[in-house]
Amino acid sequence: MTRRLMAAGGVLALSAGILTATSTQAAAQDEDDVDRLLVATDQEVDTFNPFKSRYVITYNTNMMTYDTLIRTGADDYQPVPGLATEWEESDDGLTWTFTVREGVTWSDGEPLTAEDVAYTYDLLISNPAIHDWNIDFAGNLVSAEAPDETTFVLTLKEAAPAEILNAGVFIVPKHVWETYPDPSADDANDQLPLVGSGPFQVSEYRTDEFVRLSANKDYWDGAPAFDEVVYDYYSEGDAAVAALEAGEVDIVNGLNPAQAEALGEQDHITVNNAQGRRFVSLILNHGAQTADRELYGDGHPALRDPVVRQALHTAIDKQELVDKVLAGNGDPAVSIIPAIFEQWHWDGGDELVQFSLDEANRMLDEAGYERGEDGVRTMPGGGERLSFRFYYHADNTDYANVVEYVTEWWSEIGIETVPEPIEQGSLNDLVYLGEYDIAFSGWGVGPNPTEMLAMHTCAVLPTTTDGSERSHENFYCNEEYDALHAQQMVEPDPDARAELVKEQQRILYEDAPVIWLYYQNVLEAYNHDKVTDLRTQPAEGGMITGQQGFAWAYLSATPVEGSGDEGGVSTGVLIGAGAVVVVLIAGGVLLFMRRRSTADERE
Amino acid sequence: MTAHRPSADGSPDRDPSAEQAPAAGTRTAPTGRVTTGFGRYLLKHVSGAAVSLLLVLFSSFFIFRLIAGDPIDQLTRERPVTPEQREAMRAELGLDQPMWNQFLDYITGTLTGDLGTSLQFRRPISELVLERLPATLLLAGTGVVLAVLLGFWIGTRAGWKQGSRFDRAHVTTGLLLYSAPTFWLGMIAILVFARYLGLFPVNGMRSPSTPDEFLPQALDIGHHLVLPVLTYTAVVYAGYLMVMRSSILDEVGADYLTTARAKGLRDDAVRRRHAVPNALLPTITLVFLAIGGIVNGAIVTETVFSWPGLGSLFVSSIFYPDRPMLQALFVLFSSSTIVAVLGAEILYWFIDPRIRKS
Repeated sequence: MTRRLMAAGGVLALSAGILTATSTQAAAQDEDDVDRLLVATDQEVDTFNPFKSRYVITYNTNMMTYDTLIRTGADDYQPVPGLATEWEESDDGLTWTFTVREGVTWSDGEPLTAEDVAYTYDLLISNPAIHDWNIDFAGNLVSAEAPDETTFVLTLKEAAPAEILNAGVFIVPKHVWETYPDPSADDANDQLPLVGSGPFQVSEYRTDEFVRLSANKDYWDGAPAFDEVVYDYYSEGDAAVAALEAGEVDIVNGLNPAQAEALGEQDHITVNNAQGRRFVSLILNHGAQTADRELYGDGHPALRDPVVRQALHTAIDKQELVDKVLAGNGDPAVSIIPAIFEQWHWDGGDELVQFSLDEANRMLDEAGYERGEDGVRTMPGGGERLSFRFYYHADNTDYANVVEYVTEWWSEIGIETVPEPIEQGSLNDLVYLGEYDIAFSGWGVGPNPTEMLAMHTCAVLPTTTDGSERSHENFYCNEEYDALHAQQMVEPDPDARAELVKEQQRILYEDAPVIWLYYQNVLEAYNHDKVTDLRTQPAEGGMITGQQGFAWAYLSATPVEGSGDEGGVSTGVLIGAGAVVVVLIAGGVLLFMRRRSTADERE
Repeated sequence: MTAHRPSADGSPDRDPSAEQAPAAGTRTAPTGRVTTGFGRYLLKHVSGAAVSLLLVLFSSFFIFRLIAGDPIDQLTRERPVTPEQREAMRAELGLDQPMWNQFLDYITGTLTGDLGTSLQFRRPISELVLERLPATLLLAGTGVVLAVLLGFWIGTRAGWKQGSRFDRAHVTTGLLLYSAPTFWLGMIAILVFARYLGLFPVNGMRSPSTPDEFLPQALDIGHHLVLPVLTYTAVVYAGYLMVMRSSILDEVGADYLTTARAKGLRDDAVRRRHAVPNALLPTITLVFLAIGGIVNGAIVTETVFSWPGLGSLFVSSIFYPDRPMLQALFVLFSSSTIVAVLGAEILYWFIDPRIRKS
């Protein structure tokens, strides 16, 4: 009897603790009238130093904390005014003059002037560590000057209009940064709250718990409606989904189709199925080579033949992949620049490869790849069988599904594949060593196409064969392509530039060192009972998270009226907790009495 | 003993540390002469532990070189960089140094207390570890204490009345939970108690909306702690239950218990005052191992619940791969186990007269 009581007491003690905690929590939330936008994240913070950070999460906190001279537009990724109201390029393209917006203040109240802008750009030029870390952009800068409070003049070594318009250099406050002993240190900018001129500033950070950003109520482009944006950590996607359903987090991204579908059935949740910036591709080992054109690695010789690569391409039904693997959440890919960047995307035109196993078979027959007894083709003249190693990322179920389909199609054109799931790190090692035949790859593309296109130029080929130089995508080198690349980088007229960029894409498409499979949609969801007016980028079918050049969605986001938490519960819980405590005390007394009695018994 | 190690939490890194420690720590230097006292006994075990520590220190550098992957790939994922930029990054992170230099830096650094810089967080490792340690101690510590108490309490009763309904019910339940994947159990707990009943937060250690004062923070952390601790305890307590049960079974038929009963003591008292103290003896190593394992954290539990502890830090470091961090954590995990086992050995000297006489 008493033992039962002890057990009951234990259980009650536990529940009492839990209930008290719950009720206190509810009470605390009731008192809290801060409008807080909670965004789920799973990425650690590398550094709050905007010149050094490379991660997506810090890119986002930088975009909110600071401003750039020129923003990337919300509607169509076009450059629009930011801190600079106007800009002008000299005839030779080497001198840029910006008019800096007047009346802007830092979040600590100090005025922002062209001095701050010049100081920021000068760090990129004259601070060696910052210069090296950002060498792709900083290497082209000569000087940064502020002749007066509203004028900023930047001079370049070579004309590079696209680079300047898409620079995304976060302007930092001179009066704060001057006090840093080493502005290039990863921990230089760790004094919170950060001082910036953007709509929200990082104000609190707890490693792998949350990053809090507080609104800049004096923001020059209008005060944000939310008081805070908080990045909250969820290391498991399913947990983030559960939290969104339970109302503990307001925005979740990176959903899989099943999660998106389940969330779509919830009354308080809107799923945003947005066109993505990401492509998934197959890279073919067309001959791993060094900058001196020395072949290395052990790629299959048949893949050096463009006909084989094109036949492989022809034998992939991309629409089927989108329908079956992505459950329709994507688009068949054509070239390296995804369709979301309308201005730069090349759509294939008349040359668009149509899925046809017959056509692929015909191409291979004509080129002399005859089928052996087992149905697998051999090299012309009866050499090696066309059997390709097919590497995919072991943690990616989409890729595993793609492999199933592709293997089946290719087997029908007499090509054997040997699929092998490999952990990401090892897969990269093998690719850069040239020790693969076919492997998966995928990139998120930014608004400036130069970055992606540059990965296929001769200039980034490795100088050694040890696989340590990894700036190239797939050992590609083509002088015609390189010439177009150099031309498009200096072309000031956007339309003329677009023509050049499209021609580059056409060459890559025809040569087929890479087969682009699909552009993946971004699946994200938010609680529309708590947040509304999230501006997407681009305007039509665009995304909320993963915006480029400026965090439009968080500036426009508005709390829904009367979305406060459910009050009243706490009182009930408190009464319950009180009852539990009473029972607990009674149990304790009983227990004590029992102890006394056994003690008596023993004596 | 290792067979009962309660590591159903599925932490592969525990295996090397837990098994290496006792193997190297207890079987060294047979003296060949009759042990003459505590000093000698102590010296033998401390030196054994020291040798193990050195082995751990040296091997951890090489073990994590086996994980493939270039950390720069992670840093530049999704955003292409030029070769010069990669070079600058390699130089700053010290990745361009020859392996031998990196090894020397690591040894001298670790011995002087400088654990280096994490590649993924780009902050001093010692700072990150100290920041995470309390979270891990809280979760795994509470979990271990609960699991040991619950396991021993049920194990004692189950063993005492072997074959009873209590015994069968608890052994079945315990083993069922023991064999459940932590990840799955954790997700179920989240769905039921957080998502549908709304009693607890889904995950994390504290809510960003909690005021930054002691009491609200403490309550909030306690509130967040419940689900992970219950999940962790549910999965591991059966290990202690089974050991305690079999340990009690060994004592049940012993003569001294008959004597105790003959004195007229009630069954309860016989069990509590006579059987349990003797049955606890073999479980001490187990308990110490568990204490040593607390710093490892509950790796899977921490991951499911986004608990900011050392276990989840270890997991994210493997995926990076953040080798300096992995090295440091491996040394920390291993040495805490080695020290705990040493503690158990020393304790045995005092509580088990047989050791003193052998």
